[in-house]
Amino acid sequence: MSTVEYLLNGLGTAMQWHNIAFVFMGVLIGTVVGVLPGIGPMSGVALLIPITATMTAGLGPEESATSSIILLAGVYYGAMYGGSTTSILLNTPGESSSVVTTLDGYQMAKQGRAGAALAIAAIGSFVAGLVSMIGLVFLAKPLSAIAIRFGPAEYFSLMVLGLFAISGLAGKSMLKALIMTVTGLLLATIGIDSVSGVARFTYGIPQLYQGLEFLTVAVGMFALGEVFKTILHREGNDGELAKINRVTPTKQDLKDSAGAIGRGSVLGFFIGLLPGAGAILASFFSYIVEKKISKNPGKFGKGAIEGVAAPESANNAAAGGAMIPLLTLGIPSSGTTAIMMGAFIMYNVQPGPLLFTDHPQLAWGVIASMFVGNLMLLVLNMPLVRLFAKVIETPTKYLIPLIILFSVFGVYAVQYSVFDLMLMLGCGVAGYYLSKNDFPLAPLVLGLILGPMMENNMRRALTISNGDFAIFLQKPVSLLFLIIGALWLVIPLVLKLRGKKVLINEEA
Amino acid sequence: MNRTFDRYAGIVFLAAGAAFMLESKNISSSAYGSSIGANIFPFVLGLLLSLLSLRLVYGTFRYKRQEEKKKESLDYKRFGIILAAAVLYAFFLEEIGFVIGTFLFLMIGFQTMQRGRIWVSLLISAVFSFGVYYLFVHVLDGSLPGFPAWLGLT
Repeated sequence: MSTVEYLLNGLGTAMQWHNIAFVFMGVLIGTVVGVLPGIGPMSGVALLIPITATMTAGLGPEESATSSIILLAGVYYGAMYGGSTTSILLNTPGESSSVVTTLDGYQMAKQGRAGAALAIAAIGSFVAGLVSMIGLVFLAKPLSAIAIRFGPAEYFSLMVLGLFAISGLAGKSMLKALIMTVTGLLLATIGIDSVSGVARFTYGIPQLYQGLEFLTVAVGMFALGEVFKTILHREGNDGELAKINRVTPTKQDLKDSAGAIGRGSVLGFFIGLLPGAGAILASFFSYIVEKKISKNPGKFGKGAIEGVAAPESANNAAAGGAMIPLLTLGIPSSGTTAIMMGAFIMYNVQPGPLLFTDHPQLAWGVIASMFVGNLMLLVLNMPLVRLFAKVIETPTKYLIPLIILFSVFGVYAVQYSVFDLMLMLGCGVAGYYLSKNDFPLAPLVLGLILGPMMENNMRRALTISNGDFAIFLQKPVSLLFLIIGALWLVIPLVLKLRGKKVLINEEA
Repeated sequence: MNRTFDRYAGIVFLAAGAAFMLESKNISSSAYGSSIGANIFPFVLGLLLSLLSLRLVYGTFRYKRQEEKKKESLDYKRFGIILAAAVLYAFFLEEIGFVIGTFLFLMIGFQTMQRGRIWVSLLISAVFSFGVYYLFVHVLDGSLPGFPAWLGLT
C-alpha cells in the first residue's frame, strides 16, 4: 500500500465516531490544561492516562490503544494552543513554551489588539499542525525503514544519544541533569530483571517486585510538584485580564504574519525532531529569526504580530515534530513524549520501527487524528476564545485540592495500591525541592522509561559480542550515535566556557 | 544556586550510587552462559552516579559566596496541612472509601487554601466526590473503594 492509502485508512480510523469524540475531548482538555497555570502538558497527559485507560476498556486492545493515544496526543498539541491565551491576555505563560509569546502578545493586548493576537496564534498553530503532520507522513516510512535495520548495539547507542541530548539541554546545570538521568536509569533497575528473572533491590517488599511505576513517579513529580510550588509560593492568578474585542484579524495582520507562520512552522518542526530540543527552544529560535530578518526589528517587543505568529507556530510544529522520534524510533525526545511512550507501553504497543507494520491502524490513525484535532482546535478557538479566557479565572483555592484529588484518583485507578499513592506523594515533595534547586525532572522520568529498554539492548549486544564492550564502537552506526551524543554534551560546555549564553529547554 | 541544598543532595545521590554499587554485588552475575549478568547495568550506573555527585559536592565548595538573597517567606503552614491531609487521605482511602475520603480531603483543602464560604466548599466537595465516583464506577465500570462495610449501605 502506498503512503496515501495508509493515510486514507488512518483518516477512516480517525473519523470513527468514538475517535472523533476522543479527539474532541483531548483538544478541549488540552486547551484548558494549557490555559490553566500550574498544570502543563506533561502533568495533563500523565493525569489523563488512567482515565483514558478506563474509558477505552470496552474496546478491543488495538482500538483502545488507538483511541487513548489519539486523546493524549490531542492534549499535547491542545495545550500548545491554550498556552498562548494566558500569555497574550495575562502576560503569564500557561505553559513554558509560550514564554516568548508574552513579549509581543501582551503588548498587542494592551493596544486593544488581543483578539487579533489570539486569532493569529490559533491560525499559526493550525498551519504549523498541518506542516508537522505532512512532515510526519513523509518522514515516518523512510525513518522506520532505516531504524528497522538497527541491532541492539545501535539501539543502545541511540538511547545514549537521546539521554545525553536531553541532559545537555535541560535545565541550568548539565551536571545536575546528568545526575537526574542516571538516577532515573537506576530506579528503573528496581524490580524483577526481565532477562534473567532475578529480583533486584527489592528486599522482600512485594510492591517493589514489579518495579517503580513510571506513571506514579511522573504524576507525583510533575503534577504534585507544581501544586506544592503553588501552595508554598502563594502563587495566584490576580493579574488583570486584557479585554478581547474582535477576534477576526484584519487583512493587514494576515499579510504581515503569513511569512512568519510559514517560517516558524518549518523551523519548529525540524527543531522538534531533534532529541532534547523541545517546543521552548523552537519558539525562542523562531522569534530570534523573525527579528533578524525583519525590515524594522525595532517594533518587536512593542506588539509586532510576527512576534506572536512565529513562536506560536513554532511551538505547535515542534510538538508534532517531537512525535516522529517517538513513533518511528521508539525513543521519546521530550518530557511529554516520554510520558506518551509510557502510555504506549501500558497498552503493550511498542513504539518504534515496527509500529508502522505491526499496528498500521494505530500509527496512521493517530497521525490522521492530528489533522482532525488541529481543525477542531481552530474551529473551537476562534469563537470560544472568550470562554477559555474565563477558565483562567478559576480560583486557585479550588484548583489546587482538585488537582491533588485527580492525581490520587488517577494513580489509584490504575495501580490499586496505597503504596503507589505514598510513592506519588513522596515524589511530589522530592520533585518540588529538586526542581526548585535546578535539578530538572524530565531526565529522571525519561531514564525511568528508557532504562529497561536500554539495559536489554545493552545485554543483548554484549551477549552477541561475548562480553566485549568494544562492540558499541566497532559498529559504525553505533559509533556515530555515540559521537553525536558526546558532542551534544561537549558543545554546550565549550560554548559556556567561552562565555556564550546557551539556550536551555526548561520543559525537558 | 543553593549551596546547602546542592551539597546535601549531592551527598544523598552519592550514597545512593554507592549503595546501588554495593548491592549489585549480591546479584547473580551470569545468565544462561552469558557473561553479562543482571548486575552490570546497575553497577556501572551506580559508579556513574557516584562520580557525578562527587563532582557536584566538590563544585559546591567552589560556589561564590553569593550575597544573601532576601529570604522568600514560604507558606509552610498551608503546605504542611495539605500534605498531611493528602497523606492521610491516601493512607485511609481503602478503609473509608473514595467518596467519604475525597469529600473530607477536599473540605480540608478548600478551607486551608482560604477560610470561609463554607457552603460553596461543601457543594463543590460533594459534587466532585460523588460525581467522580459515580462517573467512574457506574458509568465507566471502573473500580474504586466504595463505602466502608460498617456503614451497612450495601
